[in-house]
Amino acid sequence: MRRVTPDTIAVVDLAVCDRCGLCLPLCPPEAIHLELNVLTVDRAACTGCEKCVGPCPVGALAMVAYA
Amino acid sequence: MPDVDVLVVGAGPAGAVAAWHAKQAAPGLDVLLLERDRAIGAPVRCAEGVGDAGLREFANPDGADWVSRRITDVIFQAPDDTEVVLANCGLGWVLDRTRFDAFLAAQAAAEGATVLVGAEATAMARNGDDRWHVRVKQRGVDEVYRARVVIGADGVETMVGRWAGLDTRVPSRDMESCAQYVLQGIDFNPNAIYLQFSNAIAPGGYAWIFPKAVGVANVGLGLVSLKTDGRNARQYLDSWIARRFPTGARTGYTVGGVIVHTTINKTYADGVLVAGDAAHMINPLSGGGITNAMKAGRLAGRVAAEAICAGDTSERRLAAYHQAWMELLGEDHLKYYRIKHALENVDDESFNNLARTVNKIAAEKRTIGRVFAHALIKHPQLIPVAARFFV
Repeated sequence: MRRVTPDTIAVVDLAVCDRCGLCLPLCPPEAIHLELNVLTVDRAACTGCEKCVGPCPVGALAMVAYA
Repeated sequence: MPDVDVLVVGAGPAGAVAAWHAKQAAPGLDVLLLERDRAIGAPVRCAEGVGDAGLREFANPDGADWVSRRITDVIFQAPDDTEVVLANCGLGWVLDRTRFDAFLAAQAAAEGATVLVGAEATAMARNGDDRWHVRVKQRGVDEVYRARVVIGADGVETMVGRWAGLDTRVPSRDMESCAQYVLQGIDFNPNAIYLQFSNAIAPGGYAWIFPKAVGVANVGLGLVSLKTDGRNARQYLDSWIARRFPTGARTGYTVGGVIVHTTINKTYADGVLVAGDAAHMINPLSGGGITNAMKAGRLAGRVAAEAICAGDTSERRLAAYHQAWMELLGEDHLKYYRIKHALENVDDESFNNLARTVNKIAAEKRTIGRVFAHALIKHPQLIPVAARFFV
């Protein structure tokens, strides 16, 4: 099944991110990874649901246009 | 490729106690405890409060260097700052997690477990030989360990559970976003923990003051983002501190998530057990997780050791861990979770009224039992609030 490309996807500002890991279990497609102290959002897997954005305690996640 | 019997990912309270008790149950097994960070116990992502009875099952806090403060009182604060003081209502402790977690890891090492710091598990897979192949990165070098049982004690991120195919995701409403400062030079009762409930201060959660020493405390809050006005946890905390402790020196800062859910439906798979925050084993009413994690770690360590000794690490065998946890605390958490959601409908004015009427009970008669009784009559849905910390 072809995945529908979302209009917006989540991105992390690593200068703000505290690496607490709170957003990982909130992500329905498990598109957020924390490895070797760097948080990444897999843009191919992010569905643009925004569930990670509000709960970030420091506001390090935001939605941006997919393109 | 090094072989171990039990590989524990994460050296917090769950992982350290799991390694300790696995080795104690079967001293002949090779037990490896991995910590991703460079120091066990740091950075602290915790308010560090713990009840006395649960703690004593594992360690004696009297005179211990990993204790910051002995706590005897609880002070509830209503949204309008009305205080309800419960003096000598129970015993608790505020720990120094940097020392406490290291102490637990040292217990595991004393039993004969191997402890590695700065060692991050980055992937694991089953390769048809009845073992988990766990890739571990340490000082830039990858090494693959083969393990009969992997215990995932890797906290809120819970990657081991994910790699094992368990569903460890959390709905937004069950995630508390927390921020905390260590504040110095502030005025409060150093023998009391303070809990303030208010939708304006910490919607869906509460704000806390947990003493570390006279004039020094962990001051923080947890909230549910779906209930906020759009600000994040740090912004809510900055507002609260600006009002309550405008002159306090901020000498430490941390943020993190507390999963106020119930235990994941399945905490085990072939050759895998998941314990502590990673399995959502937090008291959903209090947000407390330290003793829960230690109790789960003890169960996981023992079950893993016995399974290996019996030559059967299948999920059928390891399911005994899940059952034992549910009987010990997991079933209680289901009840606390329902109570938590009932409490969400209490508005700030009701909390203010409750505080004022409870304070009509004379202080010397204001036992936790009488407050419960009073709350039961006036506001039956509030009973468990008073027990948030010490239950």
